[in-house]
Amino acid sequence: MNTHPEQFRDVLPPDEVLIEPSGQFGNDLRNFRAAAHRAAERQASEPVPFGWLNAAKRRRRQAQRRLMFALVSATACVALLFTAALPTLHHSKPVTEAAVHQSNADDTALLEQVDTAVSESVPSSLAPLDALDNLDTKTSTDTQTSLSKPEKKNVSQ
Amino acid sequence: MGHMVSTELPPLARAESVLELADFDEVVRLYRPRIFRFLMTSLGDRDLAESLTQDCFLKAYTARHQFRGESSLNTWLTRIALNLVRDHLRSQRMRFWQKTRETALDIVDVGDWVPDGACSPEEVCLQQERVREIWRSVDKLSRQQRTVFLLRFVEEMELAEIADVTGMNTSTVKSHLYRALRIVRERASGKSEGEQ
Repeated sequence: MNTHPEQFRDVLPPDEVLIEPSGQFGNDLRNFRAAAHRAAERQASEPVPFGWLNAAKRRRRQAQRRLMFALVSATACVALLFTAALPTLHHSKPVTEAAVHQSNADDTALLEQVDTAVSESVPSSLAPLDALDNLDTKTSTDTQTSLSKPEKKNVSQ
Repeated sequence: MGHMVSTELPPLARAESVLELADFDEVVRLYRPRIFRFLMTSLGDRDLAESLTQDCFLKAYTARHQFRGESSLNTWLTRIALNLVRDHLRSQRMRFWQKTRETALDIVDVGDWVPDGACSPEEVCLQQERVREIWRSVDKLSRQQRTVFLLRFVEEMELAEIADVTGMNTSTVKSHLYRALRIVRERASGKSEGEQ
């Protein structure tokens, strides 16, 4: 059952009933108390031996030592892992940088090659073709302009 | 919100409590049986209870200068013992594979007690069986219910004192006590009716 204790506040019986139930159950609880006291008295009634707290001190020292050992072990593990991973980290960085450098150089070379090819002069035998090409470009521009005009007209209407 | 009932001691009693702590050997002699009893009934293990009793008094000795007498010495020591029980149960959950309760308190051992007064052998047997049944029922209560039940019905603490020891509101203590009583009563009566 996972109910909150506050839910029972309204139905709680009076304190007297809680503190000391009556009847057979009350007697049973008193007997239970007497039995628990008797069971504990067997051991606790003996006089406190000399150096009784020494065992507790020893346990505390052992616990502190264990904690220190755990901390040192954890630190050593982390350091070991870092040391093992260091070469991988160290090598991975220059390789990436070199790849980027190489890629940049390739791009530049390709652009230069394209520029050179485009800027080459046309041989004299191909000059009419060049003129024709220029004419085609001009014609297509004119056609586009003429096509766009009526549209504009329609829009204005 | 439940209200907290103050268990703060008057100034004279505070001073007496602090003075009482000055003679630590006497404190151990006076309070060791109570603390041991509380730990033994809470954990159900004699050796563990003895170890934690030692730990409790070592902690109290180390922190004796921090004790201002705001509560009684019994309440203060019981609070330390309860914290040790909590710590132990938490660490036990972490080490669930370990076998625990090697020196567990035997229910028969607890029930092996003869009531006062003139009773017939049959009555003695019946009462012993009822005590064992209550013990079994208490063992099955939740941790908080068991703590409140034991502090009330074994250590005979007042509700305000229990609230002070456990850090709960008095109304929460009452709720736990009510539910614990209901469970123990139902189990104990159900069992005895079933036997008859």
